[in-house]
Amino acid sequence: MATRSQTAAVLLAAALTLAACASGGGTSQSPAASGGGKTLVIDTSFDLKTADPGRTYEPTGLIVGKAVYETLLTFDGADVTKPMPALAESYELSEDGKTLTLKLKQGATFADGAPVTADDVVFSLTRVRDMKGTPSFLLDGVEVAKTDDTTITLTSKAANPALPYILPNPALGIINSKLAQQHGATTDPQDKAEQWLNSASAGSGPYMIESFNVSSQVTLKANPKYYGTKPAYDKVVLRNVEAATQKLNVARGDSQVALNLSGDQVAGMPATLQVKKTASANVIFLLANQDSAISKTTPNAKFVEAVRKGVDYAGLLELAGEGSTQAPGVIPSQLLGALPPEQAAQRDVEGAKAALAASGLSNPTVKLEYPSELTVNGLSFQPLAERIQANLKEVGITVDLQPAPVTTALDNYRNGKEEMGLWYWGPDYPDPSDYLAFLPGKLVGLRAGWKAGAAKEIEAAGDKAATAIGDDARKSAYADVQTKLNASGPFIPLIQPSQNIVTAGSVTGLEYHPVWTVDVADLGVK
Amino acid sequence: MSDTPDAVKATRPERQGQGRPSSGRQAHPLARFLVRRILLAVLMAWGITLVTFVLTNLVPGDPVAANLGQRALGDPAIVAQWRAEHGLDKPLWQQYALHLQGLLQGDLGTSQQSHRPVSQDLAEFVPATLELAGAAILVSLVLGVAFGVVAALRRDRLADHTLRLLSLIGISVPTFWLALLAFYVFFYRLQLTPGSGRVDAALGSAPAVTGLQTVDALLAGRWDIFTSAVGHLITPALVLALYTIGLLTRFTRSAVLEVLGQDYVRAARAKGLPGRVILFRYVLRSALVPIITVAGLAFGSLLSGTVLVEAIFAWPGVGQYAYKSATTLDLPAVMGVGLVVGVVYLVINLIVDVLYGVIDPRVRLQ
Repeated sequence: MATRSQTAAVLLAAALTLAACASGGGTSQSPAASGGGKTLVIDTSFDLKTADPGRTYEPTGLIVGKAVYETLLTFDGADVTKPMPALAESYELSEDGKTLTLKLKQGATFADGAPVTADDVVFSLTRVRDMKGTPSFLLDGVEVAKTDDTTITLTSKAANPALPYILPNPALGIINSKLAQQHGATTDPQDKAEQWLNSASAGSGPYMIESFNVSSQVTLKANPKYYGTKPAYDKVVLRNVEAATQKLNVARGDSQVALNLSGDQVAGMPATLQVKKTASANVIFLLANQDSAISKTTPNAKFVEAVRKGVDYAGLLELAGEGSTQAPGVIPSQLLGALPPEQAAQRDVEGAKAALAASGLSNPTVKLEYPSELTVNGLSFQPLAERIQANLKEVGITVDLQPAPVTTALDNYRNGKEEMGLWYWGPDYPDPSDYLAFLPGKLVGLRAGWKAGAAKEIEAAGDKAATAIGDDARKSAYADVQTKLNASGPFIPLIQPSQNIVTAGSVTGLEYHPVWTVDVADLGVK
Repeated sequence: MSDTPDAVKATRPERQGQGRPSSGRQAHPLARFLVRRILLAVLMAWGITLVTFVLTNLVPGDPVAANLGQRALGDPAIVAQWRAEHGLDKPLWQQYALHLQGLLQGDLGTSQQSHRPVSQDLAEFVPATLELAGAAILVSLVLGVAFGVVAALRRDRLADHTLRLLSLIGISVPTFWLALLAFYVFFYRLQLTPGSGRVDAALGSAPAVTGLQTVDALLAGRWDIFTSAVGHLITPALVLALYTIGLLTRFTRSAVLEVLGQDYVRAARAKGLPGRVILFRYVLRSALVPIITVAGLAFGSLLSGTVLVEAIFAWPGVGQYAYKSATTLDLPAVMGVGLVVGVVYLVINLIVDVLYGVIDPRVRLQ
């Protein structure tokens, strides 16, 4: 019996010792973390599946990909309207828009010291296209060939003026082909290199992967053999942290960057922190299904007009917080071809009532479906949906809210079964051609029950835009597509919520980027 | 069925045995009892695989849509390849048969999220949760039992009322709210505790041996990682423990009060035995059976309680993994988590049953 009471006493003593250690340890640790030194801690809500550039398609994966791999072209800071040289020192698009010729920069090396060659480029791009991973569509129909040791040509069957805007995507990062092939990399769906790429670095970027865990933490360390300008931080730790905790961490100095705070959360931040508010490239929109088998109400053009005039856009911006902006068209403001703010829809309750009267529908009721737990830049869909419901009530339209978990809601949306839907579209690559998906018979068009041939004039404008060459011609062609979409299409662009990034006072050089959110190698220490 | 004299039964406290069996025959029935319990546990584990499989596949929503990007979904070839790769093109019963066959070979399938074997993912996340839940149960047992004993001995006095009120609060306050509050107060306001995760981001972590950060740090001789790990453990473990502390305080109090009223305790006191001896030798020993029952059940609920606590403290445990798997319809991962949590419950029940016999001779096997 004595032994058992002794055990209890030992346990108690042990617990007390632990508690004593803990409080001591806690206070001594915080300065180490907040001092920053050469370690940068970034808190973000993880959306991450892989570190294999050829399979990367999630925001967190793109941050990692941008740091570890280099692409042929890139963008300078936040400006996505002009592709810049990276591994390629120059590029030239042929007059017919079908051939892109790139000259490789000399002297670039991978993390193991091997030079980056034209063969590596051909292997990497072919692998992405033919492995059939999520980003493979980026190079659909693009032939990659090596002309000589320093020249690469990318050939497409149809004019492909978007290609220079697609190439900076970290999914098209160039990998060390010899090394990767030793670990199972191939240029077909049998590729087995992913697991290895999740723990090793086969890139030429400023950082290397030290540890990689898809649901908790990714640690990057500076690549000692990086041939370019050395990054300011020796180590970058990306942690998966809930937004509410992110705010407290960065405020206390436990992290130096918080990426996912909502407009409400960044209000009243301590003055020692820097808050960067920029309209994100995500466009939240409403869709009204054009399929009469799905709805008797929403295919009515006058009904769509009533909704477009009935929504209180200023009210939605208030909900979304500072930094958010109204979306005049489906193409976000950062991209070439975006409509100017003056063309944005205005609320006009009387006009909406008139349109509804002209529609011949009396007191229509429609179902509005949306993902209940999904947030875009910290903004939840629920309050937006409720506000739209109240707005349309004033017009005489009853909106029946139908929230569902995102995995369930996506099914109906993707199968084109929603009467009305509230969703968002983020650019796959920062080029207006990505938004041709909203046209009849295309990916998003079909989700609105809009079949090919349903709006010939808009489709013709889309075809024209797709093949237009040169910035000016493309700008006006895409503006024309959007003006027509706004006049008679089933989509109602609403807002671009704000991307709020909070950093410690010591962090310099942060820019919000629509493709890779943040380039960690650009960050400096004050 | 006739009741053979040597039939092995686990007897609950209410069904008291006929006294202590002779020591020579004790090992044999105990072994048979264990074998029977383990076989039963295996049968139940099989039941768990069936239930998790059926429930997982009943969930509406298409795992393909949840896992492939918007563009990739437009390509039927990619969708078909993905389905074939994950065995989703086969009929359900075949999927289950394959799942079961894999399980028997120790293969829990491949996570659609991480593209790694689910067993490898779990080996990484389960220890983190066990470390957290283990610390919580340790704290709960020490504090809950101590509070319960004090409350019973000081019945109806100030200490009793205070502890009962505290235990009521512990039981009623929602864990996630408490977690947020504790994080805000201790980490942000008072700056007493370290922040998110298992260890300071700048320190890195000790090479994984057991998967328990504190133990691995000691094995590697890294005192800095050890103190950091313990520091990170303390707030989430206390938050998680509060409910169990409340529960154990109440149960211990009533169990101790009941034993204190028994004749043999009064007799012992009349004999002049010191209070401490009475407490440890008679009172606590008898009270331990209900306490262990509650602790066993509480450990199970602690495991599910970790989901929210892990989210708030960015604790890389199985709770986060389960949440992410469920929201992305990563079916193999969901089934793996279900199986592991189910098996942990089974093992705890087994341990509790065996402990009954060890602690209280009256409960030993016939």
